[in-house]
Parts: sequence; structure tokens; C-alpha cells
Amino acid sequence: MTGPTLQQHTTDDGPPVATRGRDTRRLLRGVLVRLGTALLVLFCAATVSFFLVRLSGDPVKLLLPPDATAQQEAVLRSSLGLDRPLFTQYADFLQGLPRLDFGNSLFYNEPVRTVLADRLPATLQLAAAALVVTLIVAVPAGIFAAMRRGRASDRGVMTMVLLGQSTPPFWVGILLILVFAVGLHALPASGYGTFAHLILPSITLAVYSVAVVARLLRSSLIDVLSSDHIRTARAKGFGPLKVVLTHGLRNASLPVVTVVGLEIGSLLGGAILTEQVFSWPGVGQLTIEAISHRDFPLVQATVLLFAATFVVVNLLVDLSYSFLDPRVRTSR
Amino acid sequence: MERIRQGRALDRDRPRRDVLRLAGLVLPALAAPPLLAGCGADAASGAGNVLRVSQPGDPVTMDPQKQGDMVSMNALINMFDTLTTRGRDNKLHPRLALTWTARDEHTWRFTLRPGVRFHNGEVCDAAAVKFSIERLLDPATKSPIVELRYVRSVSVVDPLTVDVHTSLHDPILPDKLSLFGGVVVPPRYLADAGDRGFASHPVGTGPFTFVSWQRDHELRMRAFPRHWSGRPHVDELVFSPAPNASSSLAALQSGEVDLVAGLTPDAAQQLEGYGGVTLDGFSGIRTSYLSLDTLDKGPLGDRRVRQALNHAVDVPLLIKAVLGGKAREVPAMIPHGAFGFDPSVKPYTRSVRTARELLAEAGYPHGFSTTLTASNVDSNVAEALSGLLAKAGVRARVDLLDPGTYSSRLTSSNHAALGPMYLAASTIWTLDGESMIQSNVRSDRRQSRWHSKEADRLVDIEELSVDPAQRRQAFSDLQRLMRREAPFVFLYQLDNIYARNRSPRWKPGPAGVLAMADAEVSR
Repeated sequence: MTGPTLQQHTTDDGPPVATRGRDTRRLLRGVLVRLGTALLVLFCAATVSFFLVRLSGDPVKLLLPPDATAQQEAVLRSSLGLDRPLFTQYADFLQGLPRLDFGNSLFYNEPVRTVLADRLPATLQLAAAALVVTLIVAVPAGIFAAMRRGRASDRGVMTMVLLGQSTPPFWVGILLILVFAVGLHALPASGYGTFAHLILPSITLAVYSVAVVARLLRSSLIDVLSSDHIRTARAKGFGPLKVVLTHGLRNASLPVVTVVGLEIGSLLGGAILTEQVFSWPGVGQLTIEAISHRDFPLVQATVLLFAATFVVVNLLVDLSYSFLDPRVRTSR
Repeated sequence: MERIRQGRALDRDRPRRDVLRLAGLVLPALAAPPLLAGCGADAASGAGNVLRVSQPGDPVTMDPQKQGDMVSMNALINMFDTLTTRGRDNKLHPRLALTWTARDEHTWRFTLRPGVRFHNGEVCDAAAVKFSIERLLDPATKSPIVELRYVRSVSVVDPLTVDVHTSLHDPILPDKLSLFGGVVVPPRYLADAGDRGFASHPVGTGPFTFVSWQRDHELRMRAFPRHWSGRPHVDELVFSPAPNASSSLAALQSGEVDLVAGLTPDAAQQLEGYGGVTLDGFSGIRTSYLSLDTLDKGPLGDRRVRQALNHAVDVPLLIKAVLGGKAREVPAMIPHGAFGFDPSVKPYTRSVRTARELLAEAGYPHGFSTTLTASNVDSNVAEALSGLLAKAGVRARVDLLDPGTYSSRLTSSNHAALGPMYLAASTIWTLDGESMIQSNVRSDRRQSRWHSKEADRLVDIEELSVDPAQRRQAFSDLQRLMRREAPFVFLYQLDNIYARNRSPRWKPGPAGVLAMADAEVSR
């Protein structure tokens, strides 16, 4: 998993627009363009997943035991509607999308919507817990490293963080299971239901995001700390930590808030591997199962769900940016 | 990242507001686990003694007629009764049906147990049996259960008698009704609740009633006090999936699980020797073999080559080295314990020298090169087989496929789709030889790669005869013929392996079905 890249946003713009009406219009147009792009992305994701998953083979072969007859396979294929022309199936699939109707799961024999709704809470829980872990670890680490810039302790913290960023999450997960579950018997190795079950998977999922957030916070804090008004604050005799917390952090937090937003998307993506390792009953595990069962409608829906999450998060970050960044907002 | 232009501070409360907003998102989600986990503590359920069983996967659905895999059946057999059942003595015993007789070539008559009711009080009678089989066969049900392929119709004779009509004589229909195809479902409840309602809250006649199911987490059932065979010994039964050996071990040791079923020999070896964990092995019926393409123009068309392969593959060594001793040699396709198994047919002598001599005789003094295809779940066995063949000069390159691709090719119309030699296995829960050879021996069947008129004749006898003695004789002749012609390399039948802690007392039958009605636990 690679984290999403930050798009370059409007930088130093021209002369500030004087009237608020034109401002709103411009903003509205921007929002509409963004929404259009988002829909286009989703349409492409739906189309690509529809055709790609069908290249994987015939799901009926996996639904029936090997001793089924060809006739039994044909009957099931037609009752699942898989014998219809590809284009008809595609048109059907697209027609259901606006109603969020993804059809029936071939494997579970119930509406895809129900199957997804059953699994979504577990994934949201895991992603939320990982986000909390990320903030708890990354913010102090970033501040500490920025204040100790260039010293051994800074390099130490940053090396640890970088190590986390470059280790694949499933590997981190397996190591954690080996140490804490198999070795120390301190935490459950897999499963779902209690707070204890949540600890290892959320740490696993957070490792990558911790690195992204901590590094960004460090670099933007270093930027801010070398600026004029911080020097002024120092001159007033504030202690270094107080300076950072009262003046530095506020100015440095803008890019960090943005990247935390984007990390939510990658947390959901990272959940696929993490859930598999810890047999966490969420959408990630469901996706892998759906692919191995060739459950066409379910694969299509999960791909769309992930795509939609990324698109929506990106959209929100973009829009919030124009409100947050003082250079994007116009002076009043 | 761009820099914040100097001298332009943000709104004072902006970051704080963001933090608050994030917290607003995160805190409810974190508070959710205890809510969702309300069923985690057994104290809350008020149950007396609970038996927790885990198996490698989770059931597909709670609708017994919309699943066809052992993992689902293992759970559902506790909530639903079948017409017949397989006892630990390998014989067929009454369950919902008390007696069954073949009235003529095309009719099986079943008389039913009187006074049986579903968990909701609905009466289980001949009409319910008719409804169940018809629902299974209705294409709209999309059932993956294929055993009842010869059933044409069902007729109610009286409230406790049904006739099942078949298109041709099916001697093992009562056996086929001991699991998947034999489940009886409640017609009135299904009409009221609909398929979806039924799957979300199943109702059967079985020894346990449905309590709750959280997919991929746990299935809870409670003892049904009014079951016709009496109340089960345990008050609650919980099934949960345990995908790997390390999580099974942790769950056993922490007491989250009492019994782990469906362990592979590999996984069992990983659990061996840990405190508080006992491993039990029971003779099973999952039977493995190598399919050889005898129709191939190459070496495998020659009987002597195929015999050489059987001499070269040292099955006892394979069992000891790769399967931890947890399997049993099968002499000629049909496993011990199945109807038709002939104990007088002995396995091949294992000898590399004999193998080399036969190969030389067939014109391959220096052996030959070939491919051995297998599903990647069987990689260890496939590699070991390749090694054993190499000793006799047969260089078999191992080609591993993902399970999905493997099964597609296995059932494709191209009989060479899996190459000249592939590793296969089947679990014949009917415990009748027919199930082992129905799709891979007779020349017109999809997985057959052997054209023998004699074999076809014998298959017809064992598949269509009404007289069991005739069938047994046909099976004996067929095993001798297969051993001589060697269209397969005969391998082994795997044990059913269970790991448990000290509390449960339970013995599986040969098919390893997890019917827990007579299981006991001591705390």
C-alpha cells in the first residue's frame, strides 16, 4: 500500500478577489468540477472491476462440487443470470448503482448490500482505532523530533518511524502475533469482539500512518519554528515546549490535518491485509474472500466502496483546504 | 508541502475544531466494540455449560439447502435433522426416517418418525419432506447440492410415509440423505419468513436451536429440550472460525475454544506438545490420488509405466514424512470403511528397482520428464511426490495452481486441462465407493482419463443394481482391475484430526461431521 499523494493545491494566487459573490461562484464551480471528476472516477472503477473480475473464470465451477454434471452447472449458471450476454449484465449492474443496488452475492446468496452492511462496522472500528493510535504516537514523536532537530534522538525516532513505513503491514502483524499472542500469551492472536482483540490489528494498521504523520509534522514544525514570530516568542522568554505548543503547533497543523484526512483512505485500504492476518471480520477480509470465490457482484461492490472512500475523502480534503488555507481564503 | 506565509496566523480555534471533529468521529467508533461484543461474555448469556468448537472457516449461510461445503454442514447438522444418519459403526441409522425400502427400481419409500416438531412447533411430516426435497431441486433455490440428481419427484403416501421417485435406480439414495440432501426444513415457516428471513433465523428439528450468528465471528446455538432423541448434554454450542494453527493454539490455551476441528496434518504438527492441548486422530475418509492421463500419447498410455509410478511412490513413507503419520494407505481408490472396499486387494509393493525395471521394459530406461499439477494447498504433498518419483528417474515438475483455477480446470471439458498427472482428493461422506469413482472412472464422465469397457460395465453394475451383494462384487472386480491397469497412483485417506483442551468428551464418526448432540463438557 502506498499512501495517497497530496495534490498540489492552489498556491500563491493572484490579487485577492474583492467581491464575495464572485468568490462564491468560483468556489461553486470548483466544487461542481470536483464532483463531476469524482463521479467519473467511480464510473471507471465500476467498469474496470466489472470486466476484470470476469476474466478470473467461471464462479459456477467454484459453487458446485467437482462431481456436479455439466447440466447441473448450466442450470445454476442460468438461475444466477450468468448466461446472459455480457453487455446485458453490465447494463443491469450500472442501472442498479444509483439505487446502491449491487445485486445478489453469488456465494452468500443474499443481497450484496446486506453482506457489506454486516461487515462495515468492524472495518470502521479498526480504522478508527488505528487513527487514534496514529495520533497518540505520531504527534508526540513529530514534536519531539522537531525540537531535537539534528540530534541523535531525532535521528533515532525518525529511523524507527521510517522502519515502520517501509515494513509491509502483514509482516508487522505476523511479528506482533508471534511476540504478544504466541510468545507472551498476552493478547488474542485473532478474532473479534473485545477491546483486547482490537489492540494488535489497530497497531499493525497504524504503523504506516504513524510514519507519514510524524514525518510531516516534524518537517512543518521545523519550518514554522524558524520563522520570525516564533523568534519573537522566544525572545519574550517562553520555554521551548511552550513555544511549540502555543505558537508552532497551530501553524504547523494545517498540512498535518490534511494528511490525516488522506490517511483515513489508506487506513481502509490497509485494512485488507491487516484483516486477513488477524481474521478480523470486516470488509477487507470479505474482499479477499469474494475474489477467491469469484463472487462478481461482491467484488464489484467492495472495489466501488474503497474507490468511493478515497474519492470522498479526497474531495473533503480539497474542499476543506480552500476554507483552511489562509492564502486560499480571501481577506475580508 | 507549502509553507505558511509568515505573519498570517490561522484562525485561533481552527485546529482545535478539527481535533474535536476527528474526536467526534473516532470516539463513537471506539465505543462500539463493547456494544457489538455484548455476546462475548458467557456470563451474560446465562448458559450453564458451553461447548465452543472452532473449524477452519465460517458457514456460508444458515439456509441448509443453499450450501454445499462441509464447514457449513458441520454447523447446520446441529440445528437440522436429516432423514438418515451415519453411525460411528459406518452403518446407516434412522433419524427423521425410521425405515427405508426400495419398492421398485425407481421408488424409495421412507416411513417417518412420528411426533417430530420443528423448533417453532410446526409439525414435521411427509408434506415437509416432500417440500424440502422439491425446494432443493427447484432451480430458483440455486442450491449447490448435487447428490439428488436422479430424483424426479416426491409423493406423499400418508402423513408419515413418502415415496421418492428417481429416473433410474439409485442404490445409495438413503446414504445421500444422511447429510446435505437429507435436511428437512419447515414449509410453513419458510412461507411466512421467506428465504431471507429463514436464513437470518433458521428453524429446524435438530438438537440445538439458533440463537445468533455474527459472520466470521461466532454462531451460537442453545440446546433444544424437546428434541426427539432427548435434550443434548451441553446447554450452549458455539461455533467460531479459526483460520490458522497459531490462532487455534492461542484460543485453546486461553480457554476461548474447547475443540478445534478440521486440522490439516501440518497444523496438527504445529500444535503438538503444547501444555493443555490434546490431539486426537480418527480414521477419516478424505481420499487422495494422482490422476494419470492414460489417453495421452506419451509414456502414461503404457500400463507398465503407470504401474512403475505406483511402485515408485512410497505411500507409507509419504504418510510418515509429510503427514505426521496421520493417514492410511489406500490400495485401490476406495477407502477403508466405505461400502465396496475389498480388504483382499493389497497395495503395491514399494520398490524403486521394480519401478525402474518396468520403465525400462516400457522403453524408458532413463525415465522421462513430466508435470505434476496440484492445488497450492497441497504443495507439501506434491513436492514430496515429485521427490519420490525422481528416485525412479521420473522427473515431475510441480505446477501449483490457486484453488479456484485448479477446480475450474478439474471440471472443464478438456480432460487434459490439469496436465498429464494431477493430485486430487475427495471426501465421500456417503461412505459408498460409488461417490469416490462416479466422476473419474467411467469413460463418459468429466474427470475420466481412462477408457476401459470392462470398467464402464462394472460401474454400471455398482451404480444401478438393487442387490447390495451384486454391487459389492462389482466393486471388488473394479478394484482388482484398477490395481492391475493403474489408471491412478493410489495414495491415502487422511485422518480427521482434532485438538482439544481438557473439557470436551466427544467422538466423531468416519466423515468427521461435527454433530455435537451427544458431546459433553466438564468445567
